[in-house]
Amino acid sequence: MEKQLIISISREYGSGGHNIARHLAERFELPIYDHNLLDEIVADKHMNKEKLAKYDEAPRLKVVSRNVRGFSNSPEDAVAEMQFKFLKDKAAAGESFVVVGRCSESILKEFEGLVPIFVIADRDFKINRVMTERHFTEKEAIAAIARHDKKRKAYHNHFAEGKWGDSRHYDMCINSSKLGLEGTIDLLEDYIRRKMGM
Amino acid sequence: MLLAQVLAVLIFIVMFVMIITEKIERQYVTLGCALLTLILVFGVGMHSLTAVKDTLNVHSIFTVDFWYQAGEASEESSGINWATIIFIAGMMVMVEGMARVGFFRWLCMRLAKMVNYKTIPLFITFMVMSAILAMFIDSITVILFLAAVTVELASLLKFNPVPMILAEIFCANLGGSATMCGDPPNIIIGTSLGYSFADFVTNTGVMAGISLIAVVIFFYFSFRKELTEGSKEKVDTSTLPTPESAITDKVGFVISTIIFLVAVVLLVTHAMTGLTVAFIGLFIALATLITSWKYIPEIMKKVDYKTILFFIGLFVVVGGLEQTGILEIVAEFISKVSGGNLYMMIGIIIWVSAIASAFIDNIPFAATMIPVIKTLAVTQGVSLETLAWALSMGTDIGGSATPIGASANVVGTSVAAKAGHPVGWGEYCKKAVPATIIVLVICTVYIFLRYL
Repeated sequence: MEKQLIISISREYGSGGHNIARHLAERFELPIYDHNLLDEIVADKHMNKEKLAKYDEAPRLKVVSRNVRGFSNSPEDAVAEMQFKFLKDKAAAGESFVVVGRCSESILKEFEGLVPIFVIADRDFKINRVMTERHFTEKEAIAAIARHDKKRKAYHNHFAEGKWGDSRHYDMCINSSKLGLEGTIDLLEDYIRRKMGM
Repeated sequence: MLLAQVLAVLIFIVMFVMIITEKIERQYVTLGCALLTLILVFGVGMHSLTAVKDTLNVHSIFTVDFWYQAGEASEESSGINWATIIFIAGMMVMVEGMARVGFFRWLCMRLAKMVNYKTIPLFITFMVMSAILAMFIDSITVILFLAAVTVELASLLKFNPVPMILAEIFCANLGGSATMCGDPPNIIIGTSLGYSFADFVTNTGVMAGISLIAVVIFFYFSFRKELTEGSKEKVDTSTLPTPESAITDKVGFVISTIIFLVAVVLLVTHAMTGLTVAFIGLFIALATLITSWKYIPEIMKKVDYKTILFFIGLFVVVGGLEQTGILEIVAEFISKVSGGNLYMMIGIIIWVSAIASAFIDNIPFAATMIPVIKTLAVTQGVSLETLAWALSMGTDIGGSATPIGASANVVGTSVAAKAGHPVGWGEYCKKAVPATIIVLVICTVYIFLRYL
């Protein structure tokens, strides 16, 4: 069997991290898990995806949550646990894949084939991308970036061990605005091939 | 004394905030604050060894009265309520013994089969069963099993389990309010004020009974549509798991059932036999362990020590408030606000208890309020019983209103979420708040009519 490869892409909103993850998945011919994770999870169960999606990559709200004997009333906790379990099961089964966010660099760190990467970008680059991709005005883009990054950070820091974007927890933190998306993807591909001896 | 009072209040507030933030596990919070109370409040503030002794209350265990009370219930004690702790620990052992042999799963499956797996009858049966079981068993266990079976049946019979789980949770809390041993606040109220099982059943039990009827009707009309929506498809019920398949150990099952029934009989008759709840707790724990000695490690491992430690610490911190006279000040405040008006006073106790319990743990709240109502009874000449029932219903029912109000709510919604049906505050409160208000109104009116 081939060596296991798990590419974990964490990203700032607007940095193009998701795009990079998709291209890496194509180049390495791997399945990608992002918001489609919930589709996979609900596929064999009688569940309500829209309801679950509301709590995807969301931090638990502290004041309105309580734990009793290891049980938590917070839906965010439940959805996160489900996804973590799904990813861990896949990894434990020896599968290779690309995963976007979801604290994957932390929950999968025991797996040797994990390549954790954090994608950042310059502010203007992010604003421009969000404006073109989402058809937002500049003001809307700035607000969206602030909102999403705040949420991702809170989500990550609640469930994962290290802090969001702390370089010590990733193989590489890369600024996608320097080489552009294409250049960044090339560089990452090269790095991964070298690391894995492919 | 002022220093001791300030320290007692500070420790109490710190404890409450830390319980809510959950940064540190709650048993360490209460035990740590208990230690601070002993050193700072009783030692530094009061220089009183008697206060320490009274609060630790260990001597009470070694009196005959603690285990056997002939005639009228004796004087209530302050500080650590060991009777509550021993009883809860004993019940935990028994319940773990019953869970091990598959009793609860069997009961749920049996009832489901009895109603032919039809959604609406199932809904009503499970609500009533939840209430009845919760009269004798802690609500967390009741919901843990009931919700798990509900999720399983929902996926087999293709209906949405959330309405049913929400109704079960509500009824478990309601059932718990009916008896002395159903809910922790009631155990604390009963043991510290010297009320019997029969006292509770004939007072809070009646209110809970009337409320249950109202609640079943309310939930039926609120959830009728959702429940019947999915269940149109025909499901072959012969493929469903049989009740018997739930039983893991036949002999153990029979023994557990007998121990449970004995426990119920002992509890119901304890005012006549004179056996205290502490005695009953110890007895059923020993009976469970002796009859399943092979599984002692397995059972003991599952007992929730954290809750027991939480209680011990809690009683000491509340003891600090009590010994320093803070709770008398609170009592005075309540009587001032109500202007000596009895209706007002009862109303405040029910509704304030309920609103507080909806957001914070109702156990510390009830433990704190007991000395308060004791003082009110003495200074205002109000019947202590009436105040006790108001406090009991307020704390027990109020906890039903939000997803974090009571332990059963957290466990129930968690089980639902794990099965892919997350329940947020909005969805929960939309049905639970009106139901809570209905029950509280029933209780308030009942107390006004019967006791005042």
